[in-house]
Amino acid sequence: MLDEEKVAFFLASRLIARGNKGTLALTIMIIAMVFVNLIFLPSIISGVVVLFNQQTIDYSYGNLVIEPRSNQIYIENVDQLQQKITRIPGVVASSPRYTAGATIVHKGKSTTPLLYAINPEDEKQVLKIYTKIISGDYLSPGDTDQIVIGYQLAGNKDEKADRIPSLGGVDVGQTVDVTFSNGVTRQYRIKGIINSNSFSVDSNAYITKKELESVLGISNRARQILVRTQTTGNEEAMRTTLMTYGVQEKIWTWQEKSADFLASIVGSFDIINLIGNIVSLIIAVVVIFIVIFINTVYRRKQIGILKAIGIDRSIIIKSYIFQALFIFFCGTLAGGVLLLLVLQYLTASPLVFPGGPVAPVLDTFLVLRAIASLLAVSLIAGYVPSWLTTNEDILSAIRG
Amino acid sequence: MIKGRDLFKIYGKGTVEVRALDGVSVQIDRGEFIGVMGASGSGKSTLLHLLGLLDRPTSGSLSIDGVDVGRLDERGRTLFRLQRLGYVFQDYALVPELTAEENVYLPSMVRGMTSRECSRVCGEILTLVGLRDRRHHFPGEMSGGEQQRVAIARALVNKPSIILADEPCANLDTQNSRNILELIKRLNKELGQTIVMVSHEGWHKKYFDRIIYMSDGKILTDDHQENGPLPEPA
Repeated sequence: MLDEEKVAFFLASRLIARGNKGTLALTIMIIAMVFVNLIFLPSIISGVVVLFNQQTIDYSYGNLVIEPRSNQIYIENVDQLQQKITRIPGVVASSPRYTAGATIVHKGKSTTPLLYAINPEDEKQVLKIYTKIISGDYLSPGDTDQIVIGYQLAGNKDEKADRIPSLGGVDVGQTVDVTFSNGVTRQYRIKGIINSNSFSVDSNAYITKKELESVLGISNRARQILVRTQTTGNEEAMRTTLMTYGVQEKIWTWQEKSADFLASIVGSFDIINLIGNIVSLIIAVVVIFIVIFINTVYRRKQIGILKAIGIDRSIIIKSYIFQALFIFFCGTLAGGVLLLLVLQYLTASPLVFPGGPVAPVLDTFLVLRAIASLLAVSLIAGYVPSWLTTNEDILSAIRG
Repeated sequence: MIKGRDLFKIYGKGTVEVRALDGVSVQIDRGEFIGVMGASGSGKSTLLHLLGLLDRPTSGSLSIDGVDVGRLDERGRTLFRLQRLGYVFQDYALVPELTAEENVYLPSMVRGMTSRECSRVCGEILTLVGLRDRRHHFPGEMSGGEQQRVAIARALVNKPSIILADEPCANLDTQNSRNILELIKRLNKELGQTIVMVSHEGWHKKYFDRIIYMSDGKILTDDHQENGPLPEPA
């Protein structure tokens, strides 16, 4: 260690060890809180993003979504295409589906949800909706007069509790009339009710693909084919692979399909997060600045004396920077421990969001960014007040 | 050797002007024990501040040990103070969080001494001022006289050629003042350092080799023989 730094460290260590412990502890606690604040909210946001991403894959799109070519309404020869896709390396399963508008009526209550027509067995390989049946059963391949609906669509006896126009608390075993876009009306028995915590699932209705084809008078077509791949995260590469194997339809990744929705959520959270971070950092600057400034002003005379006996100004400044760094180090350490405790608690008892339980996700970059921000803040807040105080001429400082 | 020529220190703005030093010329030889005396506002502390490089003269020249200190920049002045000057303040000016030993060896640390060297030199000097057994005590645990002896030890630690003392007995009772003055006198004789001490107590006069009397920013007399001893306090 260089001589100047050695003396500065010596002074700082003695001033810390023998100074006011209460003020020091309070300052460290404030920095710890700022550190927690810098990481906590972003980690919750990361948790929300992870939750939404997983829900999007598990309940809405799988990993890839194949849609009709331009100027086509349906994917043609879907059976052959599905067979081809399923044989492509890296693909786990695929599920063709129709989406259709329909009006559902129950005891005079009518609503127009999105109606999905699926092959139940294929769908089970791609999405996890079937695991979220809260009442009754999921669709079977041969079902023709059965319908499964989301709990939001089923609704409540008390209309005030509904979040969307509903069927007024319809239950498993009851029947509903469904009028399709071509004017055909059929009666279906409610086979099951889904609660996936995903709004886009829980407000929809599901029948078999075979049933919708019989209503519309079409076959071997689909509006979408959902594809589940072996690994998540390499969707771009899998899209290229599908194209290489001759899939000429449009292929979307789940990120592209949900981009607007997720972007709006993350964008809103980011603004809140940015404001929170700026406020936290300002608090940290102000606290460390005030503590160091009061400390230096209180020791103004002593600083003058030190300069008078030949201690260079830079040594005195460095000693205060070391003190600020000590506060930063202890504050970050205490904040880290506090954060781990909070995160452990929230992992065990996740926060319940409308989309489902959210566990905070600790990102290394996030932690490093918080540490770097606090370090920069500490250096500035340690340097500026000590520079100001030591800038004073010796006699003015000694006279107080 | 200290040589000051036509030293002026003028404070004030515009028409209001205070001449704290008004053309002072002074020469102090190596090993002298000089007392700078005079009434309040006579300019004695201002002269000491200039000699101690704590302030710069408005005009005039000052050389110490052959160095024209007026030409030194701030860092050079700080280094000069560290290596060549020792300062003893009226109110001891010790760092309260440091023990007696740490207060004393702080300036030697800055000079790059190892901890072992610092400890050895510090032990010698604290022995010299009679405080070796109090080296681990904090200033708050010591009497005023003891604190001033620690301050003297701190001034001596880098073996400076000149010690400047600004009313070192002002906050002490008579007995402690006498002890400090005898200590400074003894150090002057044993170590041969030049000592310039500001005092306004007449009875301190007997300890000085030479006395500079100041009044209104000027040197009134510069020979303790001319003025004769003042009566000691009761």
